[in-house]
Amino acid sequence: MAENSNTLLKVEEMKTVFKTRAGNLEAVDGVSFSITKGETVAIVGESGSGKSVSALSILRLLDSNGEVTSGKILFNDLNLKDLSAEEIRKIRGNEIAMIFQDPMTCLDPVYTIGDQIIETIKIHEDLSKQELRERALELLKLVGLPDPESRIDAYPHQLSGGQRQRVMIAIALACRPNLIIADEPTTALDVTVQAQIMELLKDLQSQFGTAIILVTHDLGVVAEMADKVVVVYAGQVVEQSDVKELFQKPQHPYTEALMRSIPKIDTDKNRRLLTIKGNVPSLREIPSGCRFHPRCPLATEKCKSEEPPLFEVAENRVSKCWIADSSIQDKRKVPTLIEEPDSNFEVNEHLVNKQLLLDVNNLQKHFPITKGVLSRTVGHVKAVDGVSLNIHKGEVLGLVGESGCGKSTVGRLITGLIESTNGDVSFDGKQLSSANRKDKKAIRKRIQFVFQDPYSSLNPRMTILDIIGEPLEVHNLAKGNTKRQRVGELLEIVGLSKNDMHKFPHQFSGGQRQRIGIARALATEPDLLICDEAVSALDVSVQAQILNLLKDLQLKMGLSYLFISHDLNVVKYISDRIAVMYLGEIVEVTDSDTLFKEPLHPYSQALISAVPIPNPVIQPDRIILKGEVPSPSNPPSGCKFHTRCPAAMDICKQQKPELKAISNVHTVSCHLYGEEQKA
Amino acid sequence: MIEYIARRLIFGIFVLLIMTTFIFIIMRAVPGDVVTLQLANSGATPEQMDALKAEMGLDKSVIWQLVDWLSNAVQGDLGNSLWSGQQVSEIILTRLPVTIQLAVLSIVLAIIIGIPIGVISAVKQNSFTDHFLKVISIGGLSIPNFWLALILLTGLSLVLNWIPPLGYQSFVDNPLVNMQQMFLPAICLAITLSASIVRMTRSAVLEVLHSEFIRTVRAKGAKEGVVIFRHALRNSLVSVITLIGLQIGYLLGGTVVLESIFALPGLGSLIFESVLIRDYPIVQSTVLVFGAMFLLVNLLVDIMYGWVDPRIRAK
Repeated sequence: MAENSNTLLKVEEMKTVFKTRAGNLEAVDGVSFSITKGETVAIVGESGSGKSVSALSILRLLDSNGEVTSGKILFNDLNLKDLSAEEIRKIRGNEIAMIFQDPMTCLDPVYTIGDQIIETIKIHEDLSKQELRERALELLKLVGLPDPESRIDAYPHQLSGGQRQRVMIAIALACRPNLIIADEPTTALDVTVQAQIMELLKDLQSQFGTAIILVTHDLGVVAEMADKVVVVYAGQVVEQSDVKELFQKPQHPYTEALMRSIPKIDTDKNRRLLTIKGNVPSLREIPSGCRFHPRCPLATEKCKSEEPPLFEVAENRVSKCWIADSSIQDKRKVPTLIEEPDSNFEVNEHLVNKQLLLDVNNLQKHFPITKGVLSRTVGHVKAVDGVSLNIHKGEVLGLVGESGCGKSTVGRLITGLIESTNGDVSFDGKQLSSANRKDKKAIRKRIQFVFQDPYSSLNPRMTILDIIGEPLEVHNLAKGNTKRQRVGELLEIVGLSKNDMHKFPHQFSGGQRQRIGIARALATEPDLLICDEAVSALDVSVQAQILNLLKDLQLKMGLSYLFISHDLNVVKYISDRIAVMYLGEIVEVTDSDTLFKEPLHPYSQALISAVPIPNPVIQPDRIILKGEVPSPSNPPSGCKFHTRCPAAMDICKQQKPELKAISNVHTVSCHLYGEEQKA
Repeated sequence: MIEYIARRLIFGIFVLLIMTTFIFIIMRAVPGDVVTLQLANSGATPEQMDALKAEMGLDKSVIWQLVDWLSNAVQGDLGNSLWSGQQVSEIILTRLPVTIQLAVLSIVLAIIIGIPIGVISAVKQNSFTDHFLKVISIGGLSIPNFWLALILLTGLSLVLNWIPPLGYQSFVDNPLVNMQQMFLPAICLAITLSASIVRMTRSAVLEVLHSEFIRTVRAKGAKEGVVIFRHALRNSLVSVITLIGLQIGYLLGGTVVLESIFALPGLGSLIFESVLIRDYPIVQSTVLVFGAMFLLVNLLVDIMYGWVDPRIRAK
């Protein structure tokens, strides 16, 4: 790669090793990249790829059993690898600062945010108490924390997630570092808040010329923030490129597969997603030759035995794949590296006769807030406040909204996991609230749940046979040999093997566990699956496999889904219709194409515009919402969205808008639409 | 906050009521009473003994004795000693400071020994130092304090020819003698307590050291000492304080034995002597005082939570 006199940090052949009882694990194996002043370099990869370890290695912030064993980390010609503990300490926070993923756990809960900012300045600079406080206040203003004068003495738990991330950024900026390493800085945030934080980082960067190393798995964030991209896989760099060229035409099959396996807003819903077979390899079993070869659709014999070097495919562009070898140049002329197999889904026949399956009417769930000696009820958290929706046979209804909007509570209310305060749910014509115990059980058999976290939703001490067999026994459907046979069938339906049934959950990867969770949900032959963030905890390459599986099952078995997610791209891909929730209410329902093409409600518009688009050429026309979701215990009057709405009118503060049908497929609750249009 | 404290105090009174009733009945279930024990060898006739019992109110049914005792106790009258006739409240007031001093001294010593060792074990996790300290602290947990007391006393007298000065002196009268008398029993109590503080501090600090905000502090460029004491230890204090609150019960129980061994005129030795001679009012009142101390310490612990952790303060 060409040398640049402006180079700020240059990592050469860095190797990071963790010593464990089972031997040494090479988490990072020869990673090289460089960053110049004011530049943003993204390190992209899935979990276990070594991206976070690479970032932590630079400042040597690894756990005590981890160490950078070879290579160079040159920062202004200073090799950080060889500095003493005291010398590197003086660089941390001063010349290179870090921002971490989860703002909920990254601030010390027992000190005020002001103290935590001041702590950083105090370590590196000698200032008076007065000056320190002024600097902290100035920083809080800089990162846009509302009302900094009073917030400076607040404790972290008194702030929301987005506000805490602003505080983290203020801490990082405290000593005006030349370089900020941001490890998944927006992953834990809601999309509208993510948009605010990305905007802030870009602003600050142009203001101070700070260079940013951005570690992320989200290609949308990469496209929007980065100048250069380093793609890592199993501890090695597989491709490095300018961001525009990378997205235009990836040179490594892994990069391309990654890009094509995530659903995007413009992904055709009828097409099967490209999947990467298998799972990210464990550091204990690193494949021979090219580390990607067991999952690569283009792998040849050579890939299995020989590790490819980093080929320079263009100026400032490298790829670690034999395809990039100039001797077989011709392959790069085809538009895509990976040719797609026959990949359209069949037409969904179950949807044709529009049979109503689930009808939810004015559903409410108010959790009481109690206080005092006698636990008086002093208020209610209106988690779900009058939700009406319906799902037809064979249909997928997506339910989107930010954290705390009540979407998960809706799922739980429908399955009867919690009792509703008001309103009714009728399933296939039967009302759930008035049903007797026997009917309720029969209905529950037909509504099943797929949970978010495949690691905690399977009992670690039960075999797969017992886990999947449990609902069969609860509903007296099968016992003994028939149960075993049925579990075997279910495992095969979800793409696992019959022989897996005597294993325990820990013997499976995340994607496989989610398949087990789906098999368990399918055991009672339900009509409706409630999928609550069912793919959110999975790696992107595995997510596509599960999405394809869900679609296949829907078509084959005529299943309906209530698909609850915060990820709009995924919801768009899988849903026929989408309901948008805000603060316990549904603000808009329509079919998924219409929603993304012409969203009507200002909240839907903002939400959709906030989704980062994995295409660096498009400059998104973004609506940045002010502030964050208000507390559901004290929601704003009138239209609950009016405090953040860019189009708020006087009437919005006083009168609550009704859900109005704009067309036969489109309903919205907003004062901008309705009466005037009819008139 | 005030509402919370008031609620806890009201709750505490109920606990004390139940406790004192329990002790009242247990004491009377034990064979023998003060009159029988006192006059056993004096040749008094059963009629004389009965008359004396009637005078002391011991002939009434247990329930009526309880009602009498409770109604007097509520009015602040804890009764008179059945043996010496002295006012119980007076006896307790002279004895209480000794026990309080012993308890406070033990806790302070236990904290001074326990927290630094716990922090060192956590920081040097799985090293030789850690394993060594683990053996020591498990040893400390296993040694009964009366055994340790006897070994210390015997050891000191044999090797150094020294024993603590006899005849109790209060701290105000003679601090030097007082400390010489107090130190040994306090250290015996402190060693058991500090052993559990070591274990708790170690695991709590280790847990905090693995949390993400510690990485943030390191990324700021903070010195290791700041990371450990200002952040890790401070966040571990809630668990350590909880432990101390719970261990107060054992500590107070320990004073009964150790005050007797070291001949300290505290509540512990008082209760020991009074049980032997079935001096009901003293036993009942002393147990009541011990119970109140335990409850108050734990109330203090709960109030301290808020001081240590602002998240608890908010609730």
